[in-house]
Amino acid sequence: MAQIVGALGVPHTPLYPALVEREGPQCETARYFAAVTSELEAMRPDLIVMFDTDHLNTFFLDNLPVFAIGVTDAFKGPNDEPRAVPIYTIKSRADVAAHLRRTAVEAGFDLALAQEFTVDHSVVVPLHFMTPAMRIPVIPIFVSGHVPPLPSARRCYELGRTVKRAIESWPEPLRVVVMGSGSFSLEVFGPRIAPGRSDGVPDPDWARRICALLEQGAVTTLLEEATQEQMLGAGNVGGELLDWIAMLGAVGEARPKFVTPQMEQGHAYAAWTLS
Amino acid sequence: MSVYAVNYLCREVLRDHAFRAAMKADPAQAVAKYDLTDEERQALLAGDVAKLYRLGVNAFLMGYLPRFEVCGLTMPVYNERIRSAR
Repeated sequence: MAQIVGALGVPHTPLYPALVEREGPQCETARYFAAVTSELEAMRPDLIVMFDTDHLNTFFLDNLPVFAIGVTDAFKGPNDEPRAVPIYTIKSRADVAAHLRRTAVEAGFDLALAQEFTVDHSVVVPLHFMTPAMRIPVIPIFVSGHVPPLPSARRCYELGRTVKRAIESWPEPLRVVVMGSGSFSLEVFGPRIAPGRSDGVPDPDWARRICALLEQGAVTTLLEEATQEQMLGAGNVGGELLDWIAMLGAVGEARPKFVTPQMEQGHAYAAWTLS
Repeated sequence: MSVYAVNYLCREVLRDHAFRAAMKADPAQAVAKYDLTDEERQALLAGDVAKLYRLGVNAFLMGYLPRFEVCGLTMPVYNERIRSAR
């Protein structure tokens, strides 16, 4: 049977690849990504399932699913031209993804079906740092975290639990790592950006609070506090927390091995090791 | 619902390189094919992103305008104007 061997929460800031190219492997962002990459390698995954919020690139306002899953054997990205990132072909597993979708729909999570799609920096930037050879297949599950109404935190957590159950009912002995991609407090190109920047962190206290709750494993409190008003009050991409919350649903009760905040950017890097 | 058209054309600046070039060369001509209100068209061509924001245009999508420097927008100009919409 397939099993979840670990979980990783990461940011996906599209400026990071160029920053790391410029500043080198000793800069903070490079070191933080190296730490989660070591964890990923130690987990020896056969498959990554990534909860992600698309930035109106894979989907658009003409046709916007609240939840969707990629069911294909390969997809390409990024489709939004972040600097210093090549266009990768990323392997996937259509058979496992179809099983996840079937199981989720049966459980009441109506995952939209995406079979021919590209992805943006939110999927590719973490993979660019962590698996540049792109040997590990990746199944993306898209959570609408930018355009209200957002799905509730509780619903995203339950989606994660359902995905965990679906993974564990796959007969092949796959080692699966679940990832959550996104920020906690971040405004991008909106009125609350910082002077001279394209982004800003409107609510660093909320980002700190999330890190503390993650450390404590205080999921119930996190689900209560992560209202739409709170998340979008923390920035126009603050709903990306939902990707972490869905990941937590797949983690279960385990405490994190580490949560490393990067507060000037309103996000963190975290790892859960599961037996 | 023409806010949708503004959102759409902002993303076209990212996606369609010919449209991006047209927006740099002659923005009034480039946006003519879109069904915009006069208010939206004027705000867009003036790079008045605070006005567009108040009309409901998605800020993330508007970011493509200064990123690719169309409608007279650069990052410093965009920064100052969007922050005035607080």
